[in-house]
Amino acid sequence: MDVLTRTYTDLNRALDEVRSVLQEWSAAQDPAGGPKAETVRYTQLVLHEWIANLLQHADFCDRSPTIEIRIRSERRHIICSVTDNSEGFDFAARLPDKEERMDDLPERGMGLRIINACTDSLSYTSTEAGRYRFEFSIPADHDPWLSMLF
Amino acid sequence: MGFDVESLSSETVVVHMGEALDFRNADDFKDTFQDHVEDGVRNFILDFSETEVLDSTGLGSIFSLYREISPDDGKVAFADVSRPVQVVVQLTRTYKVFRQFPSVQAAEEALA
Repeated sequence: MDVLTRTYTDLNRALDEVRSVLQEWSAAQDPAGGPKAETVRYTQLVLHEWIANLLQHADFCDRSPTIEIRIRSERRHIICSVTDNSEGFDFAARLPDKEERMDDLPERGMGLRIINACTDSLSYTSTEAGRYRFEFSIPADHDPWLSMLF
Repeated sequence: MGFDVESLSSETVVVHMGEALDFRNADDFKDTFQDHVEDGVRNFILDFSETEVLDSTGLGSIFSLYREISPDDGKVAFADVSRPVQVVVQLTRTYKVFRQFPSVQAAEEALA
């Protein structure tokens, strides 16, 4: 199984590189059994929103921010994790319900909803090593169009 | 990062969105459109031909533009929408709000 692993200490650099890294990784996958182009695009979007969320809101105290991104494909699904050394937060409490209606044309607050709509399963939990890990999967047949945002 | 703005008339401009509209340059975009709104521009054609990233904050800044000009019958049109931007447009269903055109020229003709 081809697992892509990247570690970043500069989150802005991670944001800039994640698209090209994912493209290179997906191009190297088996065309018959690898992820679809759309699944890769949703993964790019989710990773961008998550890293942006860490950059803007995460509390790293006096530590230098470090994240490790791991991506693998299984039966055309993409399974991904981002492990960080922040203080973490109560993800479940902040995650809006998929059915909850939001303001029309909001300027903020769409990031977690987009992440929720694009993914099948997702979690953000502490690890035994004292870090926090965001994990999600996107199935090959996922159609986030069905997850109404407006 | 600044945005390249092309004036088509006193009321209509094309904004070439470049490689990304995200939380890092959304305020620059807002400053850019604010200057033109104050000058009387009401129609904004957003050229997404080169755009690889549109995130939730970037989209929110476009909503901000729309809220500002729509009371004066202003319009925001999406032109030459790249695939990564189309993913966000479809996901958020914003095609219900912003008309899309295959090219800047097609948008220009429709808004004329």
